[in-house]
Amino acid sequence: MTSTLTDRTSRAMGTYTYTSRPRVLPCQRRRYRDNLLQPEEEPMRYGNIMYDRRVIRGNTYALHTGSLLGQPDPLELQKEQAAKRRALARKRAQEQLRPRTPEPVEGRKHVDVQTELYLEEIADRIIEVDMECQTDAFLDRPPTPLFIPAKTGRDVATQILEGELFDFDLEVKPMLEVLVGKTIEQALLEVMEEEELANLRASQYAYEEIRNVELAEVQRLEEQERRHREEKERRKKQQWEIVNKHNETAQKISARAFAQRYLADLLPSVFSSLRDSGYFYDPIERDIEIGFLPWLMNEVEKTMEYSMVGRTVLDLLIREVVEKRLNNYEQKENRDPSLRSEGPNGPGAMGQTLGGYFNLSQTQRPLSDRDYLQRTQYDTRSSSQERRFMEERELLGQDEDTEMRRTLGKTDPAA
Amino acid sequence: MDATTAPHLIPPEMPQYGEEKHVFELMQTMLEQLLIYQPEDPISFLIKHLQRDNDNVPKIVILGPPASGKTTIAMWLCKHLNSNLLTRDNLTERKSSSVATEARKHYQKFKRVPSTLLIRLIQQRLTEEDCVKRGWILDGIPETREQALVIQTLGIAPRHVIVLNAPDTVLIERNLGKRIDPQTREIYHTTFDWPPEPEVQDRLIEPEGISEQETAQKLLVYHRNIIKLLPSYPRVLKTINADQPCVDVFYQALTFVQSGHRSNAPFTPRVLLLGPMGSGKSLQAGLLAQKYGLVNVCCGQLLKETVADKSKVGELIWSFLEKKVTVPDSVILKMLTERLDQQDCVQRGWVLHGFPRDVDQAQRLDGLGYVPNRVFFLNVPLDSIMERLTLRRIDPVTGERYHLMYKPPPTMEIQARLSQHPRDAEERVKFKVDLYYRNSTELEHFYRWAIAINGDQDPYTVFEYIESGIINPLPRKVL
Repeated sequence: MTSTLTDRTSRAMGTYTYTSRPRVLPCQRRRYRDNLLQPEEEPMRYGNIMYDRRVIRGNTYALHTGSLLGQPDPLELQKEQAAKRRALARKRAQEQLRPRTPEPVEGRKHVDVQTELYLEEIADRIIEVDMECQTDAFLDRPPTPLFIPAKTGRDVATQILEGELFDFDLEVKPMLEVLVGKTIEQALLEVMEEEELANLRASQYAYEEIRNVELAEVQRLEEQERRHREEKERRKKQQWEIVNKHNETAQKISARAFAQRYLADLLPSVFSSLRDSGYFYDPIERDIEIGFLPWLMNEVEKTMEYSMVGRTVLDLLIREVVEKRLNNYEQKENRDPSLRSEGPNGPGAMGQTLGGYFNLSQTQRPLSDRDYLQRTQYDTRSSSQERRFMEERELLGQDEDTEMRRTLGKTDPAA
Repeated sequence: MDATTAPHLIPPEMPQYGEEKHVFELMQTMLEQLLIYQPEDPISFLIKHLQRDNDNVPKIVILGPPASGKTTIAMWLCKHLNSNLLTRDNLTERKSSSVATEARKHYQKFKRVPSTLLIRLIQQRLTEEDCVKRGWILDGIPETREQALVIQTLGIAPRHVIVLNAPDTVLIERNLGKRIDPQTREIYHTTFDWPPEPEVQDRLIEPEGISEQETAQKLLVYHRNIIKLLPSYPRVLKTINADQPCVDVFYQALTFVQSGHRSNAPFTPRVLLLGPMGSGKSLQAGLLAQKYGLVNVCCGQLLKETVADKSKVGELIWSFLEKKVTVPDSVILKMLTERLDQQDCVQRGWVLHGFPRDVDQAQRLDGLGYVPNRVFFLNVPLDSIMERLTLRRIDPVTGERYHLMYKPPPTMEIQARLSQHPRDAEERVKFKVDLYYRNSTELEHFYRWAIAINGDQDPYTVFEYIESGIINPLPRKVL
């Protein structure tokens, strides 16, 4: 049962375990006779200490103290007696039921034989020997010697003498033959092996030679191949460089041709643009414009000034004369008030238009002219003098007009 | 290299590169600078010039009578183009130069700055770093022809000259309302340009010299001088009418300033005409090809030609056309590549129309390297298209093509037997136009520098617009 239990557990867990329950020692034979003097005690039962009643289990504080105090519990006593009786009865039954060896067959007798290592004499009398020993004071207990039971009985020996069993020479012959034969055979084999080895070596050598030759050939061919390849590469590279250079040169040429064509019109366009922006100019034109024309304008202005001055002077003169005459006339008038000619309309109108012209003229015109003209409105002189005056004015006015137009005309083309 | 190898052709990338990077203009400016300054070490001078990289900075002169708004326009342009404003006042007020102090003294004494001092001031100012880097705008200088000539002799040449023009009466009236903000020196007007913030309104003062008489005087002087100034700047001048709202004047000025001038660079036009069916692309392409010798590449026509040629590509295309399936992009591109690679296209330039129809095709075309340098969108309203196309008729007997509105048939007999091509049916036309409009916005985004032309006009007018678009350089957006 223990083994099956273990088997089950080992199968479940997959590991090998071996346990065994505490079991009875296998050799429990009685070495000595049952002691008749010994009282029937409680049979010394082997058993599990788990179920031994002498072992106290459980709480020690609530023990059954009845038996210990000496007042035996009547129930307990009865139980114990009953138990004893039952145990004895069981024992007897078991004695009866104990298997024994079967009865001997007819004509035979069972004999007890000792099968142990050392035979033992079973005598009725118990051999008693008194022994005493005295241990030394401080000696260690020597190890117990191995127990070898004394030898009893008789030794018997036999001896086989020479020549009694067999004849050596005869017997040895076939063996010798075999041995020698085998040795020789072995030697032969070895020699043959050696020969074979030598042959093999020779053939190997020959093979090596051939192989070397072939290898050399192969190397040569390889070298040749490599040289060819390198040559090819070099040629290809060269060719590629040539083609490259060719392309580059073609590109350069086309770039140059393109640049030439593209910038063919550069110089003329540069010059025309510089001329348009005014950097390049016709020096004569410029010279005329900068040098000559201002001088011309200046001169014209000067001439006009002179004529203006002349006219102003003339005007002043006329004014003087006319004033003097007026005074004379007034004096006469005071004596003769009937002679009164029309008012200032004629000369006034004249004066206004002339004033207008003078407004439009160059700003350098002195303002005194205008004042003077305005003042002449108030002239109320004799008709003949006025008429002369008016004519002179007209003439002067026309002259001035034409002069002005001419000068204005001159400024325009100079622009 | 031997002479026996095939004829070397200039790869087409070279002229394209030249065009893109404006190589010709660059060389022209460099040579001009060399001629003007004549340095001892031309190479390092050229290197410095290239490093400065200021060929495209604004160089503008704004002239005009008093009260025409020169200063306002000049200030706005300055802000917009991030440039420097130079007026007589701010030149004389500079603290750091001796010439300026001299000029100021002179001004205080005589109320005018002599030309020589002014020119020296300008010269000094223009050599400073910020004018070199960001350009300059001269406001009201030169005043007289002498000043202009001296400036030109020094080599200072403006790229754009704007002259504002308005009738005298308007100017006199306008000048009476002029007000100046003393802090920011900005000019406002009581009627036209009143500032919104009340603090600025309170600050405004009347400048001196705005009475009618003084304005009239100034106008006289101006008229005398401007007549002589105008011929000094023949090709770069533009007169703008100042009698319009400020904003209009400003925008006109801005567009003018941003457009370049025609250069003499060799230019092979590669024109792309885009527009809905019936906008006149084939007609314009034909006119362009005739006048300028360009190769007219019409996609539809090219397809038919290739099929008729029975080449490999032709066979491929025929297989698609047989099944009435649209030919895939790759095949069309292959055919176009073949055509556009031929020597005559490369040399003379081409006009392409009928392709691309959407952004995908455009991108692939670009990827292959056929970038057009002028793209035109012909915009025609749907009604015009319908009118143009649905009234087309053909006479089956004589084969003559008529249009019921533009070229009606002479006799009733002919008119009776006219028939219409199924392609010109209304639904088909609408469908095709829809197809175009679905893709047109994306195409407009893709070709950002395209020029939009109103195609609804007389064909020769449209042709003139296209011509001017081709000949004038593309405007450079400074924004």
